[in-house]
Amino acid sequence: MRARLLVFTAAVMLSFISSTLAQGMETVWSGLVMANNVPEPTPIPAELNRLEGTLKQLFGYNQFQVIGQSRQTLKNGEEDWLAASKYFSLHVASKAAAKSSYLLNLQLFQQEKLLLETDAKLSKSSPLVIKGPQVGDGLLVLLLVVE
Amino acid sequence: MKTFEENWTAWLDGKLTGKELVEFEASLPDKGAAELEKGDAQKLRVFLKEQLGEHAMANQEFFHHQLRQQIESDSVQTAPVESVKTSAPESWWTIRRLLWTGATSLAVFAVCTFFIMRPTPNGGQSTYLTQIINARVDPAVSPNATISMFETKEDKVTVLWVEGLQTLPSEYAAK
Repeated sequence: MRARLLVFTAAVMLSFISSTLAQGMETVWSGLVMANNVPEPTPIPAELNRLEGTLKQLFGYNQFQVIGQSRQTLKNGEEDWLAASKYFSLHVASKAAAKSSYLLNLQLFQQEKLLLETDAKLSKSSPLVIKGPQVGDGLLVLLLVVE
Repeated sequence: MKTFEENWTAWLDGKLTGKELVEFEASLPDKGAAELEKGDAQKLRVFLKEQLGEHAMANQEFFHHQLRQQIESDSVQTAPVESVKTSAPESWWTIRRLLWTGATSLAVFAVCTFFIMRPTPNGGQSTYLTQIINARVDPAVSPNATISMFETKEDKVTVLWVEGLQTLPSEYAAK
């Protein structure tokens, strides 16, 4: 009887710890996306699949191409990383915030020049989209998604 | 008018008297055999009275008898249950314990889920949506830039809308 009680207690503890740990390890996908209108658009990248409708509706472009990206696993919530293309780079520094969200400092650089800086509390269920500068006949869009 | 059988039974029991007795004995075809049969019947009656006759009980004996009968009937009723109990192997996982264990597990799971999943109060704002705390552009680089923020309800997307950034040539779209 005691052995069964121990097994039961261990199972409960294990499920509690594993669910807590599973919640603590999350990946943030950061992307520099070039949006433009073309006669034959290429398929949208997999990372943007669930946002395709929203992006097209928001910006009015029919093609979205990733020109720079980064996928960062947040272990302790205090990491920094860079998603870069040839001329642009997005620097992200994270701080642990409340459950299910991360406090991020974002800096968009055009080569060495800081174009935009923002602080945001990124939630797991809510992607962040930033409208960047016009580039040629297209638009630079920044995206952050907790996967 | 009595039948022959009624008269025969009454004669065997010695209950025929007077004229009835005389008439019945006269009607018997073989009085010797009948007398013999009557003697046997009387012997049998006496024997049965001796062996099976009711035995009068005293009060104390009567109550003892009642108590014994009650105890016997009670033990007959409980005996099958006990035999079933002893014949089945004892197991810790009885139905009642299984139910209790299941209910306890569900309760523990619900409590754990509640503490893990509960949203943290955050000044009335939902923690399920990304919030933009602040945003700024370099006024020297983009003096006409304006910033606005909104959320789309469909995908819960938070949008930082920056207008007026300096337009760049198309080669900046390179990977």
